[in-house]
Amino acid sequence: MTAYLPDIIKEFDLKKCMQCGKCTASCPAGLESNLRTRLVIYLAKSGVDVLDMKELWCCTTCYTCQERCPKNVKVTDAVIHLRNLAVKRGNFPKIHVTAIDAIRDTSNGFPLTPEVSKIRSLLGLPIEPHDVAHNEEELKKFKALLESLELLKLVEEAPK
Amino acid sequence: MRYSLFPGCIAKNMYPSIEKSTGIVFKELDIEIVEDAYTCCPAPGVIRSYDFDSWLVIAARNIATAERSGADLMTICNGCYGTLNAANRHLREHPEALRIVNEKLALIGMTCSGNTNVVHFVDVLKDMMPQIKEKVKVELGLKIAIHYGCHYLKPSEESGVNSESPEVLERIVEALGCESVEFPEKLSCCGAGGGVWSGDEEVSLGILDRKMKFIKESGANCILDICPFCHLQLDQGQKRLKIRYEVPVLHLNQLIGLSFGVKDKVLGVHTHMVSTRDIARKVKKARRELVSEGVQGAAESS
Repeated sequence: MTAYLPDIIKEFDLKKCMQCGKCTASCPAGLESNLRTRLVIYLAKSGVDVLDMKELWCCTTCYTCQERCPKNVKVTDAVIHLRNLAVKRGNFPKIHVTAIDAIRDTSNGFPLTPEVSKIRSLLGLPIEPHDVAHNEEELKKFKALLESLELLKLVEEAPK
Repeated sequence: MRYSLFPGCIAKNMYPSIEKSTGIVFKELDIEIVEDAYTCCPAPGVIRSYDFDSWLVIAARNIATAERSGADLMTICNGCYGTLNAANRHLREHPEALRIVNEKLALIGMTCSGNTNVVHFVDVLKDMMPQIKEKVKVELGLKIAIHYGCHYLKPSEESGVNSESPEVLERIVEALGCESVEFPEKLSCCGAGGGVWSGDEEVSLGILDRKMKFIKESGANCILDICPFCHLQLDQGQKRLKIRYEVPVLHLNQLIGLSFGVKDKVLGVHTHMVSTRDIARKVKKARRELVSEGVQGAAESS
């Protein structure tokens, strides 16, 4: 059994899963991709390593599966946790680095652009929103906080 | 009640019309707003999927900011609500996590107790129905496809909402003099969350396309959302689909603003990707009818 699995099985109550398939039947992403939530949970609770499954990243975290699970398995939370473990192995869509870099540089996942500044001005809003991104001192503190966390290291040091 | 408004990245930096409409509507309803300096919530999809602990600390910095103001933290976005509400609960229920988070926050001279309330603006508005009804100047009579989105409803353990048959938006829509239309999979996801919007365009737009077909068939004049990220997907995403559905999209504060008699260009709904001209025409017509009936206030309101 893969080393990470006993914890995740216990924390998210995976053993309670009776494979009814309500999760897969409710999954909007499953209709458009290979994501089969029931299978992910089955493999994980059986001790099979699922961290290389690309489908893990098709989940929109809509929580419908978790909401409808008749055994109260924390399905969505488990998928999110599996993603945390996959990231440690370097398995993640590299495009997300853009959003993480934006947070690192500006504190916002969606930073302000010159085009939107024009719309803000047109609407009579302050061109620069009242936020950390536009407050030099707060932004400096936020960057110091971020540097103390694992997030940036995980992405920067991830196996290619 | 005072609230520290958490506008979120998208309302500020992609759809300022939502920020503008929110300010106007809250002022009309005498909702007192404090402006604090926030960062990204951070996104419940991408950031929580990468490192739960980092997600928790960044969220705690925002919660601590509201705590310092002594105001409840109010979001106008399901994503921000999903993150801030879940993080706040986690900190309240896990003293050890709170301790570790506070060690990090101490680096920048902050501290978080987890005792601030995080609220979604819809839950504030639902207790103000008489005030909302009183302020309605123009009954628009629009047929509306309500899109709740996911993280206002689910997990219901955290939201306290009946996630399979919510009614709050139907009640607000009715109070505004509009009609909510039914369609299959009304409560389903827009396809943007979980990092899928940027991570897998095919899946994201596939989910959206499926939902748009049902919305188009319902005959709705517009889609109503309560989340700038859903709004982005529904408005900008429509333009990326092969089929041009062209159903205009309004955030709830924009619909309320129009119903309060505020002009579409003041609210900024003309800056959306999908044309809102048909809605603007209906608004103008409804306003003209009011003027000809001699209703006071219909003509001069901004």
